Amino acid sequence: MRIRNEDKVRLVKQKAMEMLVSDGFEGFSVNKLARACGISVATLYIYYKDKDDLITEIALEEAKRMGDITLGDFDPELSFVAGLRKQWENRSKYVLENPIASAFFEQLRTSTYQDKVMECIICDFKAKMDTFMQNAIKNKEVDAMPLEVYWSVAYAPLYSLLRFHHEGRSLGGKPFILNDDIIWRTFDLVVKALTPSN
Amino acid sequence: MGTENILLFKSNIKTASDKFAVERILDMHPHIDQWTIDQQDEDCVLRVISPRLTHNHIIDMVKGCGYHCEELTD
Repeated sequence: MRIRNEDKVRLVKQKAMEMLVSDGFEGFSVNKLARACGISVATLYIYYKDKDDLITEIALEEAKRMGDITLGDFDPELSFVAGLRKQWENRSKYVLENPIASAFFEQLRTSTYQDKVMECIICDFKAKMDTFMQNAIKNKEVDAMPLEVYWSVAYAPLYSLLRFHHEGRSLGGKPFILNDDIIWRTFDLVVKALTPSN
Repeated sequence: MGTENILLFKSNIKTASDKFAVERILDMHPHIDQWTIDQQDEDCVLRVISPRLTHNHIIDMVKGCGYHCEELTD
């Protein structure tokens, strides 16, 4: 008799992401995952049809969790600065607390799994972000601009800092540890850059 | 769907043409609801969902097509 033990399910998910990050999609197999988790191959195949199904399901589940954390306590009716600050808090919290999952998503971005995963989380997320941006533009807190331009100014600096932090070094190999002072100093510059000049 | 309806096997159905060879018999069987083979894994695990058939039924079918098939046990 096989029982779906929630601790085992969590272990499978965590180990799968670790192995995918270290070995890549090609090097990953259900057999290796079963060995790493100390469970039988048969148990994994009860819950997942095959390797693709396993990767997709794990990615969907984690994407949903990431979406929930990113939108946690975020109200699209907040002022632009308060809302963006909340987004920086939520996004940095997720990345700092979930380094393996974050690396896994980076890997997914360039894979064929990306479309399946994104369409699951994008709806709720996009709706809230659209409302937030429309309010900010209407209230003249930010100018209308292409999404790519906005993202590159509003969020790319945060992800650069988080990447330096995970790598433990910044430009030229200089040791680097992210702290609140650096995050919020960068945030202030981002707000300055996005604030309309008149 | 209960997990008791899932039948698992190790096989040597490795390639697309191997799969093609067993496809017809598995697709046509009235008591097989769904089947998949993980050809990306070393055991080429065949997973069959059937409320009626036993492991031996499937083993006989696959062996009849000229492939190895054994129950994947815990």
